[in-house]
Amino acid sequence: MELVAQLFINTLQIGVVYVLFSLGFTIIFGVMKIVNFAHGEFFALAALLMAFLVNMAAGELGLPLWVGYAGGFFGAVVAVFLLGLVVYRPAFQRYLRDLVGSFIVSVGLLLLLQGILLEVFGGVPQVVPRWGDDTISILGGRITEIRLAVSLIALAIMVFSYLLIQRTRLGMALRAMAEDHEAAMLQGIRYRRIALYGFLIGSVLAATAGALIAPLTAITPSVGGDYLVKAFIIVIVGGLGSITGAISAGFLIALIESLGGFFLDPSLTTVALFMLVIIFLVLRPQGIMGHVEK
Amino acid sequence: MKMNNIQKLAMPAAIAAAFAIGGSSAFSAETLTLGMSVPLSGPAASWGKGMDWAGQRAVKKINAEGGVKAGGKTYMLKLIVLDNKYNAAEGTKVAHTLINREGVKFMAGVLGTAPTKALQSISERKGVLLMTTAWGRSVKGPKFPLTFTQGNTPAEVLPQLYGYIKKTHPGVKTVALFNPNDASGRDIEKDARAIWENLGVKVIISDFFERRTTEFQSVATKIARAKPDIVDMSSGPPATAGLVFKELAVQGWKGVKTVAAGTAAASFLKTGGKAVDGTYLGVASNFGSATASAIQRSLSADAAKQLGEPLNSIFVSAWDAIMAIKAGIEAANSTDPRKVAKVLPTIVFESSYGPTAFGGAHEYGSPQQILIPSIISQIKGSSVVELARSEPQELKKKIEMAK
Repeated sequence: MELVAQLFINTLQIGVVYVLFSLGFTIIFGVMKIVNFAHGEFFALAALLMAFLVNMAAGELGLPLWVGYAGGFFGAVVAVFLLGLVVYRPAFQRYLRDLVGSFIVSVGLLLLLQGILLEVFGGVPQVVPRWGDDTISILGGRITEIRLAVSLIALAIMVFSYLLIQRTRLGMALRAMAEDHEAAMLQGIRYRRIALYGFLIGSVLAATAGALIAPLTAITPSVGGDYLVKAFIIVIVGGLGSITGAISAGFLIALIESLGGFFLDPSLTTVALFMLVIIFLVLRPQGIMGHVEK
Repeated sequence: MKMNNIQKLAMPAAIAAAFAIGGSSAFSAETLTLGMSVPLSGPAASWGKGMDWAGQRAVKKINAEGGVKAGGKTYMLKLIVLDNKYNAAEGTKVAHTLINREGVKFMAGVLGTAPTKALQSISERKGVLLMTTAWGRSVKGPKFPLTFTQGNTPAEVLPQLYGYIKKTHPGVKTVALFNPNDASGRDIEKDARAIWENLGVKVIISDFFERRTTEFQSVATKIARAKPDIVDMSSGPPATAGLVFKELAVQGWKGVKTVAAGTAAASFLKTGGKAVDGTYLGVASNFGSATASAIQRSLSADAAKQLGEPLNSIFVSAWDAIMAIKAGIEAANSTDPRKVAKVLPTIVFESSYGPTAFGGAHEYGSPQQILIPSIISQIKGSSVVELARSEPQELKKKIEMAK
């Protein structure tokens, strides 16, 4: 029972961050039909800013740590939101539904942001000052207070995002655009505006994931790369552009990592994930919840 | 086109100035470019940044003291440092840039077995002398006459470290090994497994992780439930090792912790916090203490100010590599890397540790290993405490012979 609880806790804490990251990635693809290779850099920027702001608040400004955490989270998300606004019009807006053009733009942006982050923050791992390091036990499974808090916040944001997409007029417009953008435009939905909203929501979700992961690990400008690879796996398995697919596949990948890390070698788990992608591409290219793009 | 009076006066003055500048440079020292391929980003970036820093300090010192003299010429050194991201693909790019574009003939440091192998495939063919920190045994031997190791490697570190741990904790019977899934990790795992088993310690888990991994909960669950007496991170970078030990502490595991490639407390403590207390390190030393040389104490104080962490054995290896290259060039009286490589194993030169030489033919088949003290340390609180130190017997003999 203890082992089951521990593996469940491991899956939950890995999965929620994967889901948040992948949700943004899949929303951007669904609405704009572009693959944003710079998504990982938005994530890394938020994580690095979180580390910088919390360190500054707790160190130079002498503020309580919880104020640093709250301010760092807010500052990181706002900064990435503004970055999204700045890069959208000159870059992505020109290449909506253009996979080749957007590929070149997003890879260029990825390299540019990577260079800037490396120059500004350096390559040495950054760490957020510790808070909530005490361990608590849930049904025999162990987790630190900060990891539990991060998992619960991420779950809440995930549920909020799901409801935003499923239950609001904006969400309906986003889904309509993802389903058939011409039909949606005939219904009076303003495509460019909705695409901008989709891009900003996706970017903010990447920032949220980055700011939440910052207190849990060592942050470098290249931290987004690993998550981007996982996001690709998740959206392929879940179905490109599918929200429920990203959520279910995010937890499935986390479960495979959790079980694979325990029963196998972690390096074999990576191989298993790529095998899963190949199996899906051959047998069910639309993924768990998606539909085949023609 | 007509020239006005000012232009008429300026023209010959400019020509004269150009000749004057050209003439003076003809008599000035030539520049000898050294290369370095190290991770400047990612979990091992602190090592790369430190090597860059120590290497630049060595170059500055040599240039301030008049440069390197060979074949009747004086050479001022210049060091180019590029980011290999601790992987073979980037290592190959760096190798091409340094050797083919920059024309580097002396590599003053490569960090990582995979980037070293990438570089070695070009350097040995093109006659470039290569100094490396690589731990993989496969980069050394008579097949690679231009390659030298600038710091201690598993054969110099693991027997002493593991022997010390077994002696200090005689009750330990089982060990879990956890290494990076690359050339370094795979090479070291073989050596670590053999030495532990020779000491009567059974390897109950030996897993590998990708260097970019940031989540270690599942493998920590696995290790904690197997209840090994020792967890050996062998060649794991400090930041990653800290994360793993932290997760192990969360899962309630308490045992002997060791990182053979552990160089310093700073990066461990950043990610591992209290969980890394008591960890045995294989290549760490307190270079600010009385056991360090005057140069090492001075470098350590400056590194603490400028890099935010004191000198460690990886950083200082860059200094020693450059001092070895200088001594080799001057002893060979040539900047031909092949001639320098032939001379290097025959000389005693001044490193940061004091008089040093290259040896290790009995272990590797050719004398390519720098001979420096093997130091066992432990993290206590927030600092590194030196527990034991042994000088290589071969070095003592070489120094005697040189006298």
